[in-house]
Amino acid sequence: MASPAEQLPPGWASEWEPTNQRLLFIETATGHTQWEHPAETAGALQQPALESPPVASAPGIHHSKRRQYAAGQTQAYYGGADETSMMQQPMSQPPPQAGMEPQLFTPGLAATSAPNQFAMQQGQAQPQYFDPSQGQQQPDYLNGQQPSYGQPNPNALADQFGQMGLGGPKPFSLQTANLLTSPPDPRELSLPPPEIRLPPNATVTPSQFANADPSYQRCTLNAFPNSSSLLSKSKVPLALIIAPYRTVSENEPPVPLVTDTVIARCRRCRTYINPFVQFIDGGNRWRCCMCNLSNEVPQMFDWDQTRNQPGDRWSRAELSHGTVEYVAPTEYMVRPPQPAVYVFLIDVSHAAVQSGMVATATRTILENLDRIPDEDERTKIAIICFDVSLYFFSLSPGQTDPTMLVVSDVDDVFLPKPTDLLLNLAEARTGGGLESLLTRINDMFKENSIIGSAMGPALQAGYKLMVPIGGKIIALSASLPSLGVGALKNREDPKILGTAKESGLLQAASTFYKTFAIECSRAQVTVDMFLFSSAYQDVASMSCLPHYTSGQTYYYPAFNAARAEDALKFAHEFGEVLAMPIMLEAIMRVRASRGLRMSSFHGNFFVRSTDLLAMPTVSTNQGYAIEIQIEETMNVPFVVLQTAILHTTCYGERRIRVVTTAYPVTSNLSEVFASADQVALAVLLANKAVERSLSHKLEDARDAVFNKLVEILQTYKSSMTAAGAGASAQLAVGENLKMLPVLILGLLKNVGIRQSAQIPPDIRAYSQALLTSLPAQLLIPYIYPSFYSLHNMPPEAGTVGPEGVIMPPPLPLTSERLERHGLFLIEDGQNIFLWVGRDAVPQLVMDVFNLPSYDVLRGGKTTLPTLDNPFSQRVNAIIQKTREMRRGVYYPHLYIVKEDGEPPLRLWALSALVQDRADVLPSYQQFISSLKEKVNGNGGY
Amino acid sequence: MGGTIWLFLFAVIMAAALLFCMVFFIIMFSDLESDYINPIDLCNKLNQFVLPENIAHGFLTILFLISAQWIAFLLNAPLLLFNANRIRNKNHMYDATEIFRTLPAHKKESFIKLAFYLLSFFYYLYRMIVALIADNE
Repeated sequence: MASPAEQLPPGWASEWEPTNQRLLFIETATGHTQWEHPAETAGALQQPALESPPVASAPGIHHSKRRQYAAGQTQAYYGGADETSMMQQPMSQPPPQAGMEPQLFTPGLAATSAPNQFAMQQGQAQPQYFDPSQGQQQPDYLNGQQPSYGQPNPNALADQFGQMGLGGPKPFSLQTANLLTSPPDPRELSLPPPEIRLPPNATVTPSQFANADPSYQRCTLNAFPNSSSLLSKSKVPLALIIAPYRTVSENEPPVPLVTDTVIARCRRCRTYINPFVQFIDGGNRWRCCMCNLSNEVPQMFDWDQTRNQPGDRWSRAELSHGTVEYVAPTEYMVRPPQPAVYVFLIDVSHAAVQSGMVATATRTILENLDRIPDEDERTKIAIICFDVSLYFFSLSPGQTDPTMLVVSDVDDVFLPKPTDLLLNLAEARTGGGLESLLTRINDMFKENSIIGSAMGPALQAGYKLMVPIGGKIIALSASLPSLGVGALKNREDPKILGTAKESGLLQAASTFYKTFAIECSRAQVTVDMFLFSSAYQDVASMSCLPHYTSGQTYYYPAFNAARAEDALKFAHEFGEVLAMPIMLEAIMRVRASRGLRMSSFHGNFFVRSTDLLAMPTVSTNQGYAIEIQIEETMNVPFVVLQTAILHTTCYGERRIRVVTTAYPVTSNLSEVFASADQVALAVLLANKAVERSLSHKLEDARDAVFNKLVEILQTYKSSMTAAGAGASAQLAVGENLKMLPVLILGLLKNVGIRQSAQIPPDIRAYSQALLTSLPAQLLIPYIYPSFYSLHNMPPEAGTVGPEGVIMPPPLPLTSERLERHGLFLIEDGQNIFLWVGRDAVPQLVMDVFNLPSYDVLRGGKTTLPTLDNPFSQRVNAIIQKTREMRRGVYYPHLYIVKEDGEPPLRLWALSALVQDRADVLPSYQQFISSLKEKVNGNGGY
Repeated sequence: MGGTIWLFLFAVIMAAALLFCMVFFIIMFSDLESDYINPIDLCNKLNQFVLPENIAHGFLTILFLISAQWIAFLLNAPLLLFNANRIRNKNHMYDATEIFRTLPAHKKESFIKLAFYLLSFFYYLYRMIVALIADNE
């Protein structure tokens, strides 16, 4: 820091004030003292508004601009805002005269009188809300950029803040679309959610990262109704959709880390300091944005500990970023950070060995030993094999040959040896013992002809091994548990599929899987399930364990490693799970402004108290949905929701990830509708539907989702359109909700919910597990797949552009788009279908599949050859990109589907085209017209 | 008529016990809501009382049946059927994983049972006194 004394105007002196840790400026002639640098305030002194309250400031003149900005905000909050915010306007702003004008206008007037002028002022960066030519189909957020995450130009945001300070918050322009005439356009799904329009000066720093990115946390409504009556009037459910630990790709900004363990929290509600608090009392105190309590700013908050000198408060990440991570001090630890522990339970019964699962799994573990997080060499690992007995492997330090210990008493599981079963990964590898064990397991059990699985006892053994530490059990099983605790019976009965009793098959058959899950959750143990059986395996029961211990279920029906695709998919996904950074002993809590309450929770975790979610380990890329209740009328300009997760990283550090978002509060129903986020709504409804299908019937779940949609449309029609309660020829919905019906249709046709008597319960249960655990980015394609036409894609598609491989434009999911000579790609994040029309020209088949003609092409799982021609390379690039662009470990299978190929595969691929009619399920047109009937029929509610 | 007195005396005591049992349930549920107890401990504790409570109530109802106290029996029969149905469907136990989702329903049920036991307590008392007076005359 340059000495400020050198730059002082004549007649001033500066003095270091040790009690306040900052410089005091003294006017020598009068004895007047002030905290601000005199050169900076000299100009401002003419502005009466700036003089009064002491400015919240950090020492040093370098940041004086920011400092004044903050000061202006504090005042703006109390009313005297206009002059100051005027002053802060960057030079690009119009001269004061023009700038004063919008202060007087009412928004409605502006739309008619001065649209051009306004548009001019706003420039490119401002969405053109006031453009009178807005009646067309395009939603307004298509036209301009948003002040959202990743916006290149921060000045644009500052401009906007300035503008908002002058004009006051503008109303949302709610645009009505007619569902009957506007077919769904899949491109709209990739648009950002409706803008969160916070009141001016809501944040302490002018950062565009103040609100967390929607991929971390998004809300079904981006403007909160001010009372529960308004919320229930709108019929739109209010919920938070969070994926706090999504993976961050290389070209995204990483989550900033606060390392100095100075954690400012509200004394009463324990909220972490965030960009939406206010500094008061000269910056010595801060007012909590949720409970309004004034708190002291911690002593070390303005101190740069690495350089040991006064730091700049405004450069602290927690004041400018909605998503931050803190390094937590020891007060946040119940016990010292534990090492990561992995226990592998490998099924070695006849079926498992025959399918090649054991060989693939052990080879994958072997290959990925280096990728298992083990930076400080504390990670522990154990391998237990099981059929009807349990096989433990012990390896004492220095020993190169592991010894096998067999426990055949599965009714009362015990550990055969107190030590050397749970191995330190680094130590076990030094002698090559672990490697030799992994290479030999498959040979050891190659001839195993025992049928049966003691899965429950194996889980108990794994639990006993790790109970003092906690960690992760990875269970790989290829058969139905048949022995000891947790034994299950084959309850698959084709007769009850499609009937009301079907939901019974989706619930856990044995209480073991719930009680054991609770024990695991207490001991900080997570269970991941990898299931491989070709016969009934009761996925519904087994997936209970991952569900309550925040693990994940992976299902490979009829796995056969002899097929290279199967082996590749499993090896890839298993490897990714092993390499995943593991977060231990996590608890999550969502705090919200007064008047809001988290009422119910959906996702993979155990609810430990009314608002505390226990997660023994946090998996990356898991999504959670939390419903919110409005308990009292809110008279604040905006509300804040903060998700905090306390966890231990695999590097032995206790950390807190805090995700904060603020939403404006409105009393206006049209604003509520205009701010609804269709993607978040679809995620919430998927979660609710699955939950309902377990407690009631599948049919009830479908009805509930459908009725919710009808309710929303009815309310929209009666309150937002001229038709009111009467019948209407159109089916109106907000432009921002236009895709909701088709998403709901996709959900109703999803394997997990669909009305059908042919879906095996295992497939359904797995699909339901996905519906409740996938984050929005993966869930949306899962219910509304992507569909591309490859044979006539634009020339740049499939080539590498500035943002990676360019994808072809997505098509609506209807078979009308399928052409008989074409090549199409359908992808839902779990599977990729390559549809080949029956009249495909030989050249196309030759180029892509290296086969002479369509007739010799075979359908089914395949790997596409990379050929030496541009078309093949582009198709391969698109498939590669499809596999990479989704977060999560999934590696979708590629199926070639011939138009006249085997019917099951063809029907499966066609079932992804959700806008088509299939069986009893309606097409999009039918769905919309039945919606319209319902909406009109019960219009006068 | 000594039997009736003893029967209703017993019923009064049972009703009082069941009443206390319900009060205990409700206190535990509100403890859970205000985070004084975790759901696992709560379910372990309450599940010990579920079956005894149901059995006690069933026993009392059967007692009314065999002593031909029709009104008292009919009063209790619906609750008996309700409990029996729950046990038959194996969802009479509290499930720690679902408890927060079902808590409002559980609370409501406990309050209704509380009211029922309170009313039946006074009814049994009344019947006991009636029987006593009849005995004296």
